[in-house]
Amino acid sequence: MLRIAHLIDDTNPGGVTRYLDFIARDPDMAELAEHRIVPVPRNRPTAVPVEADIVVSHLTISWRGLPGLMLLRARHSGQPLIHVEHSYSAGFAAANVTAPGRFRRLLRCAYALFDRVVAVSQAQAGWLAQRELVAAGALTVIPPCVDLSVFRAMKAPSGPVRSIGAIGRFDRQKGFDLLIRAFRALPDPDLRLRLIGDGPERVVLEALADEDPRIHFTGFTADPAAELSRCDAIAMPSRWEPYGLVAQEARAARRPVLCSAVDGLGDAGRGLSPVADGSISAWISALVHLTGADHALLPATDGLPAELHTLAGWHGLLAQLAPNTAGARPADVAVRSA
Amino acid sequence: MPKASVIVPAYNVAATLGETLRALLDQTYGDFEIVVVDDGSSDRTAAIARGFGDPRIRLVQQPNRGLAGARNSGIHAARGDFIGFCDADDLWRPTKLADHVAHLEAHPHVGLSFSGSELIDEAGHPTGLAQRPRLRGITPAHIFRRNPVGNGSAPVLRRAALEAIAFRPAGEERRDWWFDERFRQSEDIECWLRLALSTDWEIEGIPGLLTRYRVASGGLSAGVERQYASWEAMVAKLTPLAPEFIARHAPAARAYQHRYLARRAISAGDRPQALARLAACFAASPRPLLEEPVKTLSTLAAGLVLATCGPRAIDRLRGLAARRPAPRRPA
Repeated sequence: MLRIAHLIDDTNPGGVTRYLDFIARDPDMAELAEHRIVPVPRNRPTAVPVEADIVVSHLTISWRGLPGLMLLRARHSGQPLIHVEHSYSAGFAAANVTAPGRFRRLLRCAYALFDRVVAVSQAQAGWLAQRELVAAGALTVIPPCVDLSVFRAMKAPSGPVRSIGAIGRFDRQKGFDLLIRAFRALPDPDLRLRLIGDGPERVVLEALADEDPRIHFTGFTADPAAELSRCDAIAMPSRWEPYGLVAQEARAARRPVLCSAVDGLGDAGRGLSPVADGSISAWISALVHLTGADHALLPATDGLPAELHTLAGWHGLLAQLAPNTAGARPADVAVRSA
Repeated sequence: MPKASVIVPAYNVAATLGETLRALLDQTYGDFEIVVVDDGSSDRTAAIARGFGDPRIRLVQQPNRGLAGARNSGIHAARGDFIGFCDADDLWRPTKLADHVAHLEAHPHVGLSFSGSELIDEAGHPTGLAQRPRLRGITPAHIFRRNPVGNGSAPVLRRAALEAIAFRPAGEERRDWWFDERFRQSEDIECWLRLALSTDWEIEGIPGLLTRYRVASGGLSAGVERQYASWEAMVAKLTPLAPEFIARHAPAARAYQHRYLARRAISAGDRPQALARLAACFAASPRPLLEEPVKTLSTLAAGLVLATCGPRAIDRLRGLAARRPAPRRPA
């Protein structure tokens, strides 16, 4: 059986950790290969000895981490090395990078060490390719996934949208400041905004909410599904979002998702409702539309369960890199039902 | 499919459109189309465009939507991978399109390529003045403060960069917006700054004064208040995109904006407006004085001459120095 080691340097609760839980636990992923999750110290991925046929990096690329990646390449010179890019995207670069030339050099140097670079969304892949950050032929798109069973089991909301949820770390990235400003412009006293999470921006967000009785701060929760079940719709006003797992969960729970049109949130086929532009007025009119609309007006998804995209992506990649040892054939993957 | 499209928004420009189109047809670059957007003109604008009978010229007609709306309809109709803009009274130097396309093709991270401009008067004669902006290493802060793109006939954009800022506001059924049509002024800077803040496409210039930008002599100061209001509306609109950025750079950008409007008021001989703008400039931030002391102090001096000796003294000074007409839009 093919042995894959997935290296991770950030074990905080978040999208990457939950994706790796899926990889490690999903029975169909187990058909493809034996997956082992290996936490490694930041910038020293070779500090933990790894026995594997393929090594997958879920690490965050940085100048400081580059020597570690070179050592990793040297240590595994005989095995395919894959990098999954969870962090960087066009939206990230727009919002954070002050020296764009230096940033592109870093990514080119780092990606050149890998046999394949996996983008988590079509939009991110388009960016990596257009900016010539990844060599042609080395780029693959595999959208991440989490265990969606609990979300699918959730009762679909009915009636008009009254309770809007926003889930995530209270960080500039998530754009909850914009959401609160827009929400406060809605006159309807029966609407609720539930901000689910915690983080460095909490004080700023509370000040913006200004004790509007319709806005609730629920605090951090280890069980996002329970919180999601209390919401009729989800808002994701993110300033950047390479993929956006919350959107996937909300769609599995049949909640409409109002989102900014950045990065992976703009990918077609996800059934999301991108807001025209990042302005307050656009968000206000989108919220007015959402709270006045029936749930039946949701945009359609491509109809396939999210797991299938992830499984098919890994199957295709592994078949290229280790044609003789890869597990399930495409037919086996395709018969999987939601 | 042409490789490049040049969009010419045209509203009652029968007097200048022919010269603009001739300059565009003279481009050395071989594979391009010209999209003339007749924005509800009541003069012979459309007839002039048609009269060329050149297959490279396409005419789009619409009821008046304003400059942003005309440019948007042009983008919607354009088929090229590279999209340039030339207002219907400005002129492009023959190599402009070729130079910008080469620049964009060689630099895949650049989304907007621009160049400096030579200022010409109503008769098309050089005024001796030019816009020579910073060309490289341009950050969003540069765009916000000094708008190096300069004028609406300077940039050529990559279509992919325009697509990254496309949006469709509620109520718009027909096509996307790229420029925000709610702005009747400051629509350029709003678009460039939104591109800089919400995408990682870079804005970079190439050497040469490749645009000949026409400025009206005389100049009216009646629009100064309104222009400042639209600039502040632009700041308010973009603040949620990058609140920290705006908070950090707005004072200096505001000071530069006041200085620019003070210069316009001085040109128009509007004493109270000029003094009010100068005071507002120095109150907003010392940066224009520190970063561009000559231009800031000469503006101050001209304002004081206007205040003490009146508009005739300014006219005489202007005649001595160079012919210095008032630009039509923020430089």
